[in-house]
Amino acid sequence: MRVLLVASLFLLAGVAAFVRILQLGFFEDAPERRSLAEALLPPRGEITDRNGVPLARAFPAYALWYNPKAFGASGQPLVKSPEEVASALMQIFPDADYNDLLRRLKSDKPSYLIRRVMPEEANRIFALGEPALEFPRENQRYYPQGSLGAHVLGYVDGEGKGHVGMEQVLEKQLLDPAQRGQPVALSIDMRAQGALEDELGRGMLETEAKGAAGIVLDVDTGEIVALASLPSFNPNRSDMAYNDLVFNKVTNQVYELGSTFKPLSVAAAIDAGVITDLSVRYPANRPLEIGGFRIRDSHPFGASLNVPEALIHSSNIVTAQVADKLGGPGLKKTMAALGMNERPYIELPARGFPLWPRGHEKTGEWARITTMTVSYGHGIAVTPLHLAAAYAAMVNGGVWRPATLFKVDPAKAPEGRRVFKASTSARMRQLLRMIVVDGTGKTANAPGFRVGGKTGSAEKPGGKGGYNRTSLVATFAAAFPMDKPRYVVIAMLDEPKGTAATSYQRTAAWNAAPIVGRVVPRIGPFLGVVPDDTRDIDISDLSPLVGNGDGE
Amino acid sequence: MIAPANRLRSVGWLVLLGLCFAVVLVLAFRVNALRSQIHHAEARIVALKQEKLYLETEFETRSNQQQLKVWNDVEFGYAAPVAGQYLEGERQLAALSVPAMPDAPAPIRVASVDDSVIASAGFPAMVSPLSGKQLGDKPAVPAEAKVTKVDHDEAVETLNERLGKVVDSRPRKPVRKETASEKEEPNHPPAKKPAVAKPTTKKAEKGGKAVAVADKSKAKVAKPVTASRAIKGKEAKAAT
Repeated sequence: MRVLLVASLFLLAGVAAFVRILQLGFFEDAPERRSLAEALLPPRGEITDRNGVPLARAFPAYALWYNPKAFGASGQPLVKSPEEVASALMQIFPDADYNDLLRRLKSDKPSYLIRRVMPEEANRIFALGEPALEFPRENQRYYPQGSLGAHVLGYVDGEGKGHVGMEQVLEKQLLDPAQRGQPVALSIDMRAQGALEDELGRGMLETEAKGAAGIVLDVDTGEIVALASLPSFNPNRSDMAYNDLVFNKVTNQVYELGSTFKPLSVAAAIDAGVITDLSVRYPANRPLEIGGFRIRDSHPFGASLNVPEALIHSSNIVTAQVADKLGGPGLKKTMAALGMNERPYIELPARGFPLWPRGHEKTGEWARITTMTVSYGHGIAVTPLHLAAAYAAMVNGGVWRPATLFKVDPAKAPEGRRVFKASTSARMRQLLRMIVVDGTGKTANAPGFRVGGKTGSAEKPGGKGGYNRTSLVATFAAAFPMDKPRYVVIAMLDEPKGTAATSYQRTAAWNAAPIVGRVVPRIGPFLGVVPDDTRDIDISDLSPLVGNGDGE
Repeated sequence: MIAPANRLRSVGWLVLLGLCFAVVLVLAFRVNALRSQIHHAEARIVALKQEKLYLETEFETRSNQQQLKVWNDVEFGYAAPVAGQYLEGERQLAALSVPAMPDAPAPIRVASVDDSVIASAGFPAMVSPLSGKQLGDKPAVPAEAKVTKVDHDEAVETLNERLGKVVDSRPRKPVRKETASEKEEPNHPPAKKPAVAKPTTKKAEKGGKAVAVADKSKAKVAKPVTASRAIKGKEAKAAT
């Protein structure tokens, strides 16, 4: 009987131990493992550029937190005096605000002294020997490239909500536990973005412009390789992302882009069979008068011009005549096919609606004067992104494709829609190259890169229905290399001034075109376009048509 | 007699049961110990990965485009490459040469070498995937590897000569070896010398530069060939 009792006791103990082991083995393990897997999963997905360089990542950063209750409720919170501690902190963070630090150290409320602290800085603070200075590790959104590509990325606010750029667009995907482990690759090339922002910033400083915008677009896939809008903001400081800095000039602001529209009108005319002979000359010696409205050129170019000359010298009079020959419906159809009557195609939430000219009340057709002004880029206002997509269609063989910020496999490029014939596109490539070789775009002619493009200096609307003669929007729309276009580059300056750096000129040939001329050599080599002096597009059949001369 | 036997048997069972429990307990403890070790290892992996991420991010931040640009402006001054720095292919390379003129530099001459040497040597014969032995009529010889190696060096040598200039600009011996051995010689007894010399010769072999300083066993095979070739080279020089 006793044996049985002992045996049963043993059994009980054994079973209890076994059950405990089983419980440990089967039930406690699962949550542990899940937490491990979760530990490696970022709280918010990473965003990278097209080469996998991180642009935005969730990042457990140290913050510097002041806890006055470190020594209990009573007594001095700091070992040294607040002044000493503040000056010691100033040595570690030279750009901090001494008075603000002092005020926080003297107050008895806990607060952040500095939001983000690097590990070695944390070590130096630790060496101060102040227990009241704590380093909580917090998950923050961090942008290693600083303000680079800020308008593409956007920012995350204090509540962890994405704003402005892809942070807002991808919000769901970045927070989804199933997807956030995998970084999202954008079409942006961070190096190209850096070069574009750098050169735009330089151009903006040189011309004292109000703002600048630029875009580099892959003509075959519609991928946006770089997109810059200046002035910019630093997404790491979401508290300083003010409205006017966050505003995206590339996708949201519409401008009358002026003469950069002329190649599009000429292409429409060639495509429709209106221009069959490029040597036909049009009178250009006096302003064109249509219904009380005078179309004039910046300065006289002689008695008559043919189409290549009109593009090279940027003649409004001749372009208007060509558009008149083409007619309103033809031009309207082409402009609509290029997407000029709808918001630009891009993932970003901020997309401006173009100012599309109103047609006749009943038929909807454009008036004759409207057709003429649209042909040289007035009376129609679009975003720089519209222009980039239209130029891509014009040079890539005639196929318009929506722009995208996601990386696209070249084999799976969207089909797009055909706007121009391939022959028209080939002719336009020649004409664009001629503008850079002989015409207003000479300053964009990066040696070896076969750049082609068109300047545009449009007066800004101002006052009562008229135009402000002194404030311009200077644009240069270009593509390179012209013998086989790969990228469209657009540079735009908002209200540039004539300065010594631009020889006291305000037009695009002096400020926007040089920006393109400097950007292209910087981005070409790593985007797969090698400079080559031995290649160029053949313009020998057109060059005899052009006399020598300068103009805008 | 029956009762004690019964009791004995039940005690035996109990002991067995206790033993089993003890074993299970030990096993369970070990399993748990291992499990907690794994857990610690995993926690460490997570910590290290996070540390890595942190350092990587710091590196990215310090080397961000704007910072690099500033450094380049102030210190490095690198500029984008221009067209002259690219060569598209051999054709473009050839276009850079100067046509033969009285003052033109001596053209790069290509020595004509018997290709059969290269064709016959340097490439191991096909091996049967099943037996691992060589296919074909030649039996596998243990010394095969050594022979092939020498032949390979020789092939490299001929290739060097074919591609290289007629004027022999190569140093007789590898520069490294000379300086290394000369430095070591006064300080160390001669017994140590081969130990010092050996790694350098191996390096030289790897570079395919000097067959002349290869191991003696190899040199036996290689010497006649190189010698004859040296003569050939001299003849070629004389011919110019």
